[in-house]
Amino acid sequence: MIAERNKKLYSKGQYTWFLIVFIVPTFALFCLLTLYPMVRGVYTSFFDWTGTSSKMTFIGLDNYRKLFDDEIIPRTIQHDYFLVFWKVLLILLFATVFAVALTRLKLRESAFFRAVFFFPNMISVVVIGVLWRFIYNPNLGFLNSFLSLFTEKPVSIAWLGDSDLALAALVPPSVWAGIGFYMVLIMSGIMGISESLYESARIDGAGEWKQFTRLTIPLVWEQIKVSLLSIVMTTLNGSFLIVWLMTEGGPDNSTQVMGSYLYQVGFKQYQMGYATAIGVMILVLSLLTTVLLNRLLRRETHEW
Amino acid sequence: MNFKKTVIPAMLSLGLMSALVGCGSNGGNEASPTSSPSPSVSSSASSSPTNASEGLKGKLEIQYFVGGYGDTWWKETISEFEKMNPDLEVVQHAGPKINEQMKTRWIEGNPPDVVYIDGDGTFTEKLLVQNEQLMDITDWIATAKNSDGEPIKDQLIGQPRSYDGVNYAIPLVFGVFGTWYDKALFQKNGWEVPKDWAGFLELNQKAMDAGIIPYIHQGQYPSYIIRGLLNSGFVTENNGDPAILKDINALKEGVFKSAPVMGMLSKLTEMNGKGYINKAALALNHTDSQNQWLQHKAIFIPCGLWLENEMKKTMPEGFDYGFIPSVTQAQGGKFVAVPYTNEIGIAKEAKNVDAAKAFLQFVFTKKAAIRWAETTGALMNLKVDLESTQASGAVKSAMSYLNSDNTIVASVDNEMDPTVAKAMDDATAALLGEKITKEEWADRMEKAAAAARK
Repeated sequence: MIAERNKKLYSKGQYTWFLIVFIVPTFALFCLLTLYPMVRGVYTSFFDWTGTSSKMTFIGLDNYRKLFDDEIIPRTIQHDYFLVFWKVLLILLFATVFAVALTRLKLRESAFFRAVFFFPNMISVVVIGVLWRFIYNPNLGFLNSFLSLFTEKPVSIAWLGDSDLALAALVPPSVWAGIGFYMVLIMSGIMGISESLYESARIDGAGEWKQFTRLTIPLVWEQIKVSLLSIVMTTLNGSFLIVWLMTEGGPDNSTQVMGSYLYQVGFKQYQMGYATAIGVMILVLSLLTTVLLNRLLRRETHEW
Repeated sequence: MNFKKTVIPAMLSLGLMSALVGCGSNGGNEASPTSSPSPSVSSSASSSPTNASEGLKGKLEIQYFVGGYGDTWWKETISEFEKMNPDLEVVQHAGPKINEQMKTRWIEGNPPDVVYIDGDGTFTEKLLVQNEQLMDITDWIATAKNSDGEPIKDQLIGQPRSYDGVNYAIPLVFGVFGTWYDKALFQKNGWEVPKDWAGFLELNQKAMDAGIIPYIHQGQYPSYIIRGLLNSGFVTENNGDPAILKDINALKEGVFKSAPVMGMLSKLTEMNGKGYINKAALALNHTDSQNQWLQHKAIFIPCGLWLENEMKKTMPEGFDYGFIPSVTQAQGGKFVAVPYTNEIGIAKEAKNVDAAKAFLQFVFTKKAAIRWAETTGALMNLKVDLESTQASGAVKSAMSYLNSDNTIVASVDNEMDPTVAKAMDDATAALLGEKITKEEWADRMEKAAAAARK
């Protein structure tokens, strides 16, 4: 049949066939692996289900009502955006500074530093969690030992055990683990900028700082934008990992983020229906955040 | 909620136990040390009228979690059961991840016949009952006899839980929570093991004076201090009546504001206020805190009976485990022991019910109980004489309390709703971190309980 069609509409048929070959398998996989679980998740959120039996009771919007009554939910959202804010700010700051330093400043050790900064990306999050738990250990940890050098009495701050400090203590490991990748991304942007632009800027009397703000930043804005969106999305969807490895959401939910709370509720408190409702909430918030950020950043793209 | 750490501990086989395991609540010991209780199993099987193990056919599927207790006992017991029933094919579903692996079969209503309920605290009797996945064994267990022809129910240390009068599973592992100390350290310093609250506080102060923050706990999991210190405390504050634990687990209205609960919280905040409880503990998980205790960075720690096995690898030379079931009783008051269990049950949709029942009858025999003690170092839920076997210090010291007339052993209670249990963990962490008062603790708990009752 296809052969017949090919005979009739040789060029157009071939083109359609070409499209089908590329789109259909991908689309089928997308439906199977993304769309179906998503729809299934939304469907499950209307049920009371322990997640471990075939018994499911339809309860309509009750899980969503519960979402609004649950005092922990607003805290998890707040914690997530706290992490988003600090991660975006610090990762982009450090990544950009390092990227510029390693490309524009022509350091001889450039390759070495690039490997060093990228290193955290090559180790598993599990290792990062364990490593930083050790750094924060109140009695034996590196941080308290270091601080004790400057005080008379040994410092024994329970960084991960104090509900006022624990969330902030999660920022450094997340930032540390994130810098390398975005640094490389921005470096590739900088290396794509023609040297002649810098040369003419120099002739026009622009110093290093002027070159950085007027030339480098606008020209790598695309990379920065992508980095920013990527940090926001990975934080909203993936902050679960570092939280679960380091504090399991504690103490007293002070580090509970949406993802970790979903896990807690679904797999530890057997309320899978409610957990999927939380999942839907994460989806909606992620979408809204992305759309909003896209709007905010759209007009900022520069081309020279 | 099943206790997370009953599972994870690397409970390799410990020494063997001696000490007579009696029913502590009655203070009655199972007398007559039968040093080799091995009546020929097959001959006694035929003498038992309820025994259905003769001529069993078909397939029997058994799911058991393999954690700290290992699988030696299971393999041994099952192979003997198979020998007795040559026509029966026993399929074992076992491993540390078995609960996750079998999940789909439970969801699709095709579960194994027999299930041992243990794991990371997320696969519990309460959950299975809620899912209506366990068989009602009320009538059967009331009269069932084991393969040796002895009534099972009479010999259990902890009785099966009752859900509105219905039993769904039998506790297979029995243990108690309490406070641990190092006997060697106490001896060296001339400290006496505390018998009551005043003595406990006094010893805490002595440790403080010696430069040690005396009490450490597994802060990241506040359920340890709740189970090891608070629960027995609620009972002592209730004049030794364990009914308060029933009320708490049943989320009875007002129970979290009741005098016994508030009384115990006062004791806790008193201890905390004096700096006896290590503030940094809230940042530590079970391994970290237990290791610090082993290194004498603290003199007391709450835990269940598995502690010695769990910490076997890092135990310093000369360390001697000592166990006290409770420290909160008034002068001259009785000790209180709060138990925990892991259960074995039959699936509601079991395909070979006869064989499943026969297996339970085979498991709850003295011989199997002794083998359990010998291979796991823990205690099976059957009154059995272990005196002729070699004992580990920890279990010995726990057993002497359990057998004493001076100890009140609370019953094996129903598990608390997991959401309220989590709220209790959170509130207790906040109380220990001095972020909330005990009144706020009570308000939070009443609120969580009210939400769960709905």
